[in-house]
Amino acid sequence: MTTASQPLYEARHIDKSYGSVVALADVSVALYPGEVLGLVGDNGAGKSTLVKVLSGVYNPDAGDLLLDGTERHWKSPHDTIEAGVETLYQDSGLASDLTIGSNVFLGRERHKPGLLGKLGFLAQKEMEREALADLERVGITVPPSKRTVAQLSGGQRQAVAIGRAIAWARKVIILDEPTNHLGARQAIEVLSVIKAAKDKGLGVIFISHTLPHVLQVTDRVVVLRLGKVVRDAPTSDFDAESLLGTITGLIETP
Amino acid sequence: MPSVTENPAPPATSQADRPARWLRSILSNQQFFLIVALIILIAYFTSRDSVFLSSSEIAVLLTNFASLILLAVGETFVIVSGGIDLSVGATCGVAGVVAAFAMRGMVNGHDSEALVLLVGTLICAAIGAGVGLLNAALMNWARLVPFVATLATLGAGTGVALVLSNGVPIGSDSSALAAGAAHIGPFPYIFLVVMAIVVIAWLYLHLSGYGRYTFAVGSNPFAARAAGINVRRHLTSVYVLSGLLAGLTGMVFYIRLGSGAPSSGDGFELIAIASVVIGGVSLFGGSGRLTGTILGALILTVVTSGLLISNVSPNWNQVAVAICIAAAASLQVLRPASRRQS
Repeated sequence: MTTASQPLYEARHIDKSYGSVVALADVSVALYPGEVLGLVGDNGAGKSTLVKVLSGVYNPDAGDLLLDGTERHWKSPHDTIEAGVETLYQDSGLASDLTIGSNVFLGRERHKPGLLGKLGFLAQKEMEREALADLERVGITVPPSKRTVAQLSGGQRQAVAIGRAIAWARKVIILDEPTNHLGARQAIEVLSVIKAAKDKGLGVIFISHTLPHVLQVTDRVVVLRLGKVVRDAPTSDFDAESLLGTITGLIETP
Repeated sequence: MPSVTENPAPPATSQADRPARWLRSILSNQQFFLIVALIILIAYFTSRDSVFLSSSEIAVLLTNFASLILLAVGETFVIVSGGIDLSVGATCGVAGVVAAFAMRGMVNGHDSEALVLLVGTLICAAIGAGVGLLNAALMNWARLVPFVATLATLGAGTGVALVLSNGVPIGSDSSALAAGAAHIGPFPYIFLVVMAIVVIAWLYLHLSGYGRYTFAVGSNPFAARAAGINVRRHLTSVYVLSGLLAGLTGMVFYIRLGSGAPSSGDGFELIAIASVVIGGVSLFGGSGRLTGTILGALILTVVTSGLLISNVSPNWNQVAVAICIAAAASLQVLRPASRRQS
């Protein structure tokens, strides 16, 4: 059973190296239901590697992953998606030659009823229609059209990617730099979408370089530096200056 | 409810700009230009010699088309998936030669013609699929890029076909020749069978989950993998499909020639790739239409047949193909409203 005292998703003592380069060393993070956890750190701190470990893209060299208290060994991103963990990857989550609907349903296509469906044919119109409804449900409106993602603006593309993750997530959403490429107003809208996901009881991991967004939307912040967790504290313990100092190492951490 | 659109939805198209929009969508459509080019070419060659549109000449043209289109269809799947398959011509030669050995034995053993052709077709398909599997293995395990992996099998396949056959055509199957020549009106049977495969391929590329994954993998392999698609397994199946269609083309050549010639598919990989490029399929993967490839293959077949009829030396064929590629490729860049935002 999930209780507030038991983490929804937890990584314990994760190590990950690329050859001789240590990307993550003994990293432990825990995410609770209805919580937005900020993950911050300078370039090369290991944020994206941790995201890829949590989403099943990489296997950790050592350490355990627990979802709902059960130890899990992801073989591929497919496993995490099945388990209810959705990930928005930095910059590369969408197939830009495909339509919005095809992207929202990528990997979970709906088939036509009857024999045609058994032969592998897709219910494309239904998917396009439902994709727009799904996106709208989580607060994202895109022009209803058969346009490919490549024809959308950067902001719209990002909105589709976020909307897809939130529409499908059942437990955890991992958002790697979701406010990149967005104007100020759009970024605020994304933050409100994140809050709505949190209110539904989902756990959100929010990775960003934009510290005001981190301070505004997260409940707790984990700071990574050179592959190690150097601070894990409630967001209210930080202001912009102390958070930046912790990231860069100007402020000594215990 | 917040919205993350940059602009409100565009207003419904007014009556006034509807024709303009219609015109623009036609002008930005590569296939429209291909159809126009095809009509102009046919009209031109017919004006040179009216025999071009005779029933027998159309049958020859469609048989030539049947020898090319399966290779081009396989190549379309591969290129849409973001790869390239240089081995299809060689595969076609190997499959034809090996199947011809088996069929020669059966013909000498007085097996029925239908059985002979059925067994030959199965052998060709199996060998083609095997070469495709080998290509995929070279990519998956030896970590070769598609260009290098299929270049290796192109060389190996050409060599094996020559070694096995000693460089001479295998078998002399007059009833296969008769089957190749049989036709309804101007439509050879072999063309109709091949077209049935092409239609099925079209349905699967554009309307099925298999096709969707092919586009997704070609457009962004990482996104495809992140969405839970087994990219490696999908690419393997794409190269097996391309090999299978190349093997079947070996059978098409056998039926046309009445023998398995080791060099029957030589150079066809380039004509197949040319068909795909002329058809507007992006060499970067992720976009294109199979109808474009079909038009591309038709144009190349019409040009080569037309030059032959106009008594131009066949040595000019490659130059003509090159001109077609250059014209089609520049058309893609120049036509309006076609530039994709990156």
